[in-house]
Amino acid sequence: MTPQVLMDGLVAGAMIGLGAIGITLTYSILRFSNFSHGEFLSWGAYLVLAVASGLGYLAGGPAGPIGPFSFGWTLPVALVAGIALTAGLALVVDALLFGPLRHRGSAVIILVMASFGVALTLRSLLEFVFTSKPVYFTDALQIARPLGFGLRATPDQLLALGLAAVLVVAIHLLMTRTAIGRSMRAVSENRQLAGIAGIDVRMVIRTVWIFGAGLACVAGVMSGLLVQIRPQMGLDLLLPLFAAAILGGIGSVPGAMIAGLIVGLAEAMTVQLVGAEWRAAVAFVILVAILLLRPRGLFGRPE
Amino acid sequence: MIDLLSYGAFFLSVALTYAVISLGLNVQWGQTGLFNVGIAGFVAVGAYVSALLTTPEAADHLGGFGLPIAAGWLGAALATGFVTLLVGALTIRLRSDYLAIATFGAAVAIHLCILNLQSVTGGPFGIGFIPRAFAGLADRPLAFSLANLALLAAVVLALYLALEHLARSPWGRVLRAIREDEPAALALGKSAVRFRLQAFALGGAIMGLAGAAQAHFIGYIAPDNYQPILTFQVWAMLIVGGSGNNRGAILGALVVWGIWALSASAVASLFPPEQQARAASLQIVMIGLALCAILLWRPRGILGEARILSRHVLRPTSPVAPSPSTTSET
Amino acid sequence: MRPAADAGTVLATRALVSGYERDLPIVRGVDMAVRKGEFLLLLGPNGAGKSTLVKTIAGLVPVHSGAVLHQGADVTAMEPHLRVRHGVAFVPQTENVFTTMTIHENLLVAAQVLPKDRRAGRIADLCAMFPDLARLKALRAGQLSGGQRQMLAVARALIVEPSVLILDEPSAGLAPKVVQEVFANLKAINAAGVTTVLVEQNVKAALAIADRAIVLVEGEVRLEGDARALGDDAVMAELYLGSRHRKAEARP
Repeated sequence: MTPQVLMDGLVAGAMIGLGAIGITLTYSILRFSNFSHGEFLSWGAYLVLAVASGLGYLAGGPAGPIGPFSFGWTLPVALVAGIALTAGLALVVDALLFGPLRHRGSAVIILVMASFGVALTLRSLLEFVFTSKPVYFTDALQIARPLGFGLRATPDQLLALGLAAVLVVAIHLLMTRTAIGRSMRAVSENRQLAGIAGIDVRMVIRTVWIFGAGLACVAGVMSGLLVQIRPQMGLDLLLPLFAAAILGGIGSVPGAMIAGLIVGLAEAMTVQLVGAEWRAAVAFVILVAILLLRPRGLFGRPE
Repeated sequence: MIDLLSYGAFFLSVALTYAVISLGLNVQWGQTGLFNVGIAGFVAVGAYVSALLTTPEAADHLGGFGLPIAAGWLGAALATGFVTLLVGALTIRLRSDYLAIATFGAAVAIHLCILNLQSVTGGPFGIGFIPRAFAGLADRPLAFSLANLALLAAVVLALYLALEHLARSPWGRVLRAIREDEPAALALGKSAVRFRLQAFALGGAIMGLAGAAQAHFIGYIAPDNYQPILTFQVWAMLIVGGSGNNRGAILGALVVWGIWALSASAVASLFPPEQQARAASLQIVMIGLALCAILLWRPRGILGEARILSRHVLRPTSPVAPSPSTTSET
Repeated sequence: MRPAADAGTVLATRALVSGYERDLPIVRGVDMAVRKGEFLLLLGPNGAGKSTLVKTIAGLVPVHSGAVLHQGADVTAMEPHLRVRHGVAFVPQTENVFTTMTIHENLLVAAQVLPKDRRAGRIADLCAMFPDLARLKALRAGQLSGGQRQMLAVARALIVEPSVLILDEPSAGLAPKVVQEVFANLKAINAAGVTTVLVEQNVKAALAIADRAIVLVEGEVRLEGDARALGDDAVMAELYLGSRHRKAEARP
């Protein structure tokens, strides 16, 4: 097994971790498994692609790469817009579907079924608009630079890792040190009590969707940048996302990232040792193991 | 005219195979309250087992047993029941949405096995030349179609009667007791887990049977036939028809399959031949929206009992007490 | 008895009908008023609807008909967190603190309702009022004893300087000595000027600290009056202590 497995695993794991943070937040506060979360990743990637292409068109041509990276200025700018748009998408879906179902006291199962329907609708909409053909943010090729210890990484990959690290720390600090973070933790523990303690629960719910979808957008763009963009990309990541969220412990932000890295590394090792075609089975095995051995995950609250 | 009849028979036959899957799902969900999001995987197991048992020797996959079709179907039901039992043993104690994730994962794993174990299953190329019932009538298309239709209708009818009988039997009554008032049932010494597992496996076996029926009807199967969209279709059928209700399961299958086929041809006619993939995507978008609309406005479907859903409806969890004008009727 | 809807009424309900389910009202037409500064006790047998009534006032139970008025304003349709800002503080019977958060964080959460510059000061005030809590500030609420949790729940409610403090059976599950402390605390808080509404099963002890009491039976007001007088009332004795006692009480 080459050391390169470590880098591949970390990079994949960072993307899974970011997505898993979104799932763990929405799950702990909204109390249902959102099967459409993967689609926020896909939509994030496509929205950023569309905005970046539009910006490039307006600027009169594709932007040249910034520094050692493969992308031009249009991508970071488009990313900011994309985060806002993806968050908007999540809010719309909640306002139209999940919110009304919640308000009328629908059972968890109805919400999960609805999320399944939303997932299919959003995914097929992407297929309709963009077709299933893979697309890419940039044509520029990246050369992996040696880092020592037999590891190689492209500048894009290192940037992705760095960004993921920064985001995790930022979100963790937000959850533990700020008023909005406390409100989110309060609603996550006891929604009714939060209400009578003066917390605007509806506002907290909107905030959770914004964070979850925003992180998914970043994860989707990373995946699109480092691999490729396809309508199926969210669905392919859904099982690893759930596995990481549950492994990390529902409600734990650092847990979700650590678990994401674990899943990513496990997948990379499996690809090396067994074969790339079995990659998708890894998340399932981890999921079953956790549900059997320690359902509350690494850092979760005991039920 | 003959063509129309033939097509009608074909359409109905496929709808009936879906009805069988729906009946299986109803055992799991309607009677037992288990949320299975991995239906496609179980149907696939049934299809492949039956195909492997009955197809002649082939170079690219396991085979050569050449067993009769009935044996294939029986094997499919048993094998799928067994696989469902395994999955259930791992997951049945989980809360409902963890069960959903786990069954979803199981379907992904099954799909992966089918795709990768090429020497056994033929991999992405699938398995062809699956023997069809009434093959002797192949030269008279109408008779062939009608014979197959009759066979499937008989299967659905037999299954319906058996399941209705089962629901009223002591076993069925214990299951209902567990569903309605678990602590009381447990006090009587009934192991809830054991009964739920049995119901789960039974539902799975029925799904496997449907997979086999589909395989032999079409004559060819491939991993691509068993994607999440199949799971979604069957759930849509059960929801539209009315969950918790065997008649609802059958009705839902016919209605949703009808809508699916109609919308497919309607949308396809709007697009040029080279854009057919796009047309299919648009069709799914419309169906997805329709399902969400149904969940929002009439979650109990056409024939569903309000009680089933109201059993699942929790006390309103929103901090704002719903205004008196919104009722909790489902 | 018509409630006095004058300027001194802090909280009132008018023909209030409420319940979790549309076709099952638990509170069946309650008229009541709480005067500024008073200590009102809500009594009644199990299932009478006392808990449901106060939860309705807090905004947690759907109203079928009637109104909840707070300081003259109709708050019937107001969301719970807005009622808190309006000045209605509610301490539920169970799950009344955030067990995964520290005492300090529990207080911080409650203080978020106040303008920024007042938060620290108010928390300091409450730490002075409850020195035990101040001492254990960094502990997670889940690690506290029953009595300490009750204290924290009350402190949390008081942070917003409410115009009315409502408590649902704060003595439930607590040892008698602790119950005495809790009641003494509540009396002191009321004496300092906080209008208090208390739902209690512990009738005798509660009547001793209250000004006025209302007895609910099957969702309706059955009795109302001065706390001390009700303590001697024959009907009360019948409701709570059984006819044996009634005969004993009926001495000349």
